[in-house]
Amino acid sequence: MATEASAGRRLRLRGLTAGPHLLAALVVFGSWELYGRVGNPVVMPPVSAVLTGLFDITFGGPLPGALLSSLQLLFVGFATALGLGTLLGILIGRYSLANRVFGPFLNAMYATPDIALLPLILLWFGFGMTGRVVVVFLAAFFPIMINTYSGVRDAPADLLEVGAAFGVDSELGRLRKVILPAALPLIMAGYRLGIGRAVVGMAVAEVYLRLGGLGTLIVQYGAAFRTDLLIAAILPLPLLGIVLTKVFERIENHFQYWRNV
Amino acid sequence: MTKSAIEEPETRATPPAAGRLRALVVTALPGLAWLGFLVAWEVAGRLADPILFAPPTRVADAFVELTVSGRLPQALLVSLQSLAVGFVLALVVGIAVGLLLGLHPTLARVVEPYIDAVYATPRVVMIPLVILWFGVGFWGRIFIIWIGGVVPIILNTAIGVRNARSDLVEVAKSFGVSDRQLVRHVILPGAVPYVIGGLRIAAGRLLLGVVIAEIFLDLTGVGGIIQTESSYFRTDNMLVGVIVFSALGVVMIGSLGLLEKRFSRWKGQGTE
Repeated sequence: MATEASAGRRLRLRGLTAGPHLLAALVVFGSWELYGRVGNPVVMPPVSAVLTGLFDITFGGPLPGALLSSLQLLFVGFATALGLGTLLGILIGRYSLANRVFGPFLNAMYATPDIALLPLILLWFGFGMTGRVVVVFLAAFFPIMINTYSGVRDAPADLLEVGAAFGVDSELGRLRKVILPAALPLIMAGYRLGIGRAVVGMAVAEVYLRLGGLGTLIVQYGAAFRTDLLIAAILPLPLLGIVLTKVFERIENHFQYWRNV
Repeated sequence: MTKSAIEEPETRATPPAAGRLRALVVTALPGLAWLGFLVAWEVAGRLADPILFAPPTRVADAFVELTVSGRLPQALLVSLQSLAVGFVLALVVGIAVGLLLGLHPTLARVVEPYIDAVYATPRVVMIPLVILWFGVGFWGRIFIIWIGGVVPIILNTAIGVRNARSDLVEVAKSFGVSDRQLVRHVILPGAVPYVIGGLRIAAGRLLLGVVIAEIFLDLTGVGGIIQTESSYFRTDNMLVGVIVFSALGVVMIGSLGLLEKRFSRWKGQGTE
């Protein structure tokens, strides 16, 4: 049967691709382990020590609590960026008046490395939750706003005309039925970029403030020269970034069919 | 998404008599918006607690003061120096590794997950490790700047190499060129637009690396001014530092955008 044959081929292909991956993992982690055992464990602990460390801080350790507090911050900051970024993106994409008024500031803000604003933000918004949320918000806001803006700006005129012919003539109806659906792929891509940036913003806020969360845990282990725990506490961050980006990529692909219609 | 920044809308042709005033107002609007913003900032800055907020006039005074005293030029020199070294290292290593990964697809498939993992790790959390590996100083700063910029250049170069035009490659092969010549005269020139695209992504990350390194690792440069002045609550001096970084960002992203536009025309000609 054709299906069986293709399944067989897929299996063999998977075996073929797994080989080099295993070999690479063996080389990377093997040389890491060896280097760690021979050298100074404070500079580079062996991978086995990092894994035991990860186990220790996960079960009965401070990692789950720190992760939870980080996720809270991430959620609030990203949700705010999503709401305001989408709203402002629609506004300046749709109305040239809004573009002329806000455009110059947003461009200047976009070019500013957001971490340079960190000390000021915390001075203005306080060292509590608000200041930290603003840091995450600023990190995620721009990709979301700019993608929404370009999606809305390039709304196809022919679709708008067809919509008008079918009686969609209120601005709200146009937005809801034509412009936003057409802009959706770009908007979703903005959300995907934004969530990755939000994870970075979260780490920045926590490392700078040292008031809890993963970033603070990392700084504490670094100050104590516990490099094994330090690396173990760093590991969840790229994982979080990659997993969340993949989730948003999935959602994005789901909406991609608009592109081809 | 084109240049991932906001472009000014084109001014529509307006009917002559009545529309002229309106057209004037519309074209002047960005300028008016800046003026209104500065006035509002000045008023708010004078009303607010001077510890929290500095009006533009005080920021301008601070700028002059920091420049005349030589502190800002010196700091800017430190920041620009590390930016330049990080930039060159990221470009050289990025093109070399990208070429390698582009020419060997199996190697690329195996190595790219590790590169992605490094790319997804926020650089601030690498700071404790960088202190252990490189110490608090020039090379530690360079590492933080470099690692943010090198990845997009690697990935883009690899894509460019993979997308080398097969017709050109075939022509070159039928003329009997060696592998070296093929890379040097066909594949690398074809990848240039991609490298520049990667560079534009890298530019923002390189500059961000300067800020991270100077605030979190080693208190020098313009980032050092921002962080040091924050402990004296000198908002005016802090804002001077932020504005300098912002201007650097505008110049870097703007000039690379222009460069990219130039080379994408070349790329477009190639594929037609």
